[in-house]
Amino acid sequence: MDETTVKATFDVYRFEPGKDAAPRYDRYVLDLTPHTPVLTALLKIRAELDPSLTLRYSCRSAICGSCAMQINSKSRLACESPIGPELARDGRIVVEPMRNQPVLRDLVVEQGTFWQNYRTIEPHLILDPRHPMPEGRENPMTPAQVDRFKETPRCIACAACYSACPAVEADPAFPGPMALAKLYRFVVDPRDHATQDRLVRIQTEGLWLCLRCHLCTEACPKEVRPSERIRDLKELAIAAQGATEHGSRHATGFKENIRERGLINEMKLARQSVGLLGLLPQVPQGIRIWRKKPELFRAPHRIEGHDEVEKIYEALDDGKTKEDLP
Amino acid sequence: MKLAYYPGCVAQESGKELDMATRWVARALDIELVSFPSFSCCGSGFMDEANEVLNVALNARNLAIAEKAGLDLLTICSTCQGMLTLANVRLADPKVKSRVDGALRPLGIEYRGTTKVKHLLQVLTEDIGLEAIRAKVTRPLRGLKVGAFYGCHLLRPADELAWESAEEPHAFEDLLSVLGATPVYYRGRVMCCGFPIQFVKPATADKIAGHQIDDAKAHGAEAMATPCPLCHLSLDAYQNHAAKAVGHDLNMPVLHLPQVVGLALGASPDQLGLHRHLVSTAGIVAIAGARA
Repeated sequence: MDETTVKATFDVYRFEPGKDAAPRYDRYVLDLTPHTPVLTALLKIRAELDPSLTLRYSCRSAICGSCAMQINSKSRLACESPIGPELARDGRIVVEPMRNQPVLRDLVVEQGTFWQNYRTIEPHLILDPRHPMPEGRENPMTPAQVDRFKETPRCIACAACYSACPAVEADPAFPGPMALAKLYRFVVDPRDHATQDRLVRIQTEGLWLCLRCHLCTEACPKEVRPSERIRDLKELAIAAQGATEHGSRHATGFKENIRERGLINEMKLARQSVGLLGLLPQVPQGIRIWRKKPELFRAPHRIEGHDEVEKIYEALDDGKTKEDLP
Repeated sequence: MKLAYYPGCVAQESGKELDMATRWVARALDIELVSFPSFSCCGSGFMDEANEVLNVALNARNLAIAEKAGLDLLTICSTCQGMLTLANVRLADPKVKSRVDGALRPLGIEYRGTTKVKHLLQVLTEDIGLEAIRAKVTRPLRGLKVGAFYGCHLLRPADELAWESAEEPHAFEDLLSVLGATPVYYRGRVMCCGFPIQFVKPATADKIAGHQIDDAKAHGAEAMATPCPLCHLSLDAYQNHAAKAVGHDLNMPVLHLPQVVGLALGASPDQLGLHRHLVSTAGIVAIAGARA
């Protein structure tokens, strides 16, 4: 291991709402080995240079999920982020609190909404009241059944995904990647009795605001891959309830749309997603775009070999989801 | 070099200027584009939510078409790039492969998984090479500050898709430098453009687009450039809505990737379809020309 120390420059976000007029960045320079975790460096700063620096941490072993923060703009656990690669790339380490949550002080954020969104999905098994589990008995699952949600229990609720999510940033109606990934875990649990209710409810409670941007999957330190769990939830929601929302109608509309010509008919897709009435407010914008891009209102050509596309639909568009694969 | 050209839906329809610019740049750099009128839509990250295996099967057919011709496949859209590459990944799962084969075999279509899917950005920076491009620059974009905007599906999810760092990519910025422009680094360059929920909740989609344009602007960008025509719709065609959502004028010209390359390689604005944008590009064409 490389024991040579390097001069590490930290620019740390400092802010105490109600006391400071605006946030500032305090600079600290320390001699550290490149494998030093950012958390260790921050604790050294607090112990030796500035006892007022406020941060949240506990286990220092990437288990408790307390020390998520932004390190050079990326949402990360400070305890498992060595300073070396950050310095090599950016020359310094900018440490900021997580995004999308109000700052309480310095690197500590207020997490009320994050936890409230989690409680809303009812993150516990809901058993069939007619068949309560007998006292002292187990409710066994097969390995294959457990496999369907093997990623989600790894979640340590660090909120790195929540911090990285542009939908959370723009819209409080989106419950965030963690809450939806946890919901998926109960939806595919064979012991849970509320699957149908859960899928119906989430369709109107933010599921379709997910942008499919996968920023949560990159931020997650435990490889829960929330964006993929959300994708699976969407497919299950449509299979359970049909397409009832603009988002699900966009997905099923897309599927039907491609079947007709093999390529997307943009105008027709808009109608399929939001309906004729829903299109009305879009008319002025449509005309604006059409004046520059006259193809907008034109149906695309039918692709060659369209009959093959049709036959593939006949074989595979049978209402089954990926979860039904043998 | 010779590639199967997969233009995707938008470049054949409302984003025709992307197709025009791609063909111009391909000619200038001796890339032979082979067209296949039988390619179908990639599913765009929406269709798989209605039926993932069906979506994978349609893309297996697309990939098999290029495979039969012995060609790698060129995409010019981050989303097409993502969906076609993901199809290759999903088809490595024997359960998926067997269900897809069951639908394709009766049609005489064989998918073997040998065709690589490459976005134009990757072909330009890795196959053609930055030095070869530099040698053909006739109108360097000296001093033009350009913020690259990557689009989500070009590199994420990284485990499956990334051909360079998904969090700190630099291929586009490297290319911009070779073209004589000054690349602008900003957090929003790897964020989402908002387009996927334009039909779900336009106000939220517009706000997200506005955030990224604002971020580029705050870091000094005079123009943005994107390898994804869906991002282009969001950032250019809907920019007036994005401006309303963030409460101030944005006035940010947004170029398609091959348009920036074409400008530096000497194409005329008309050849690149720059007149088809909603936000005027006249300012940056003038800057590029004047500073050259």
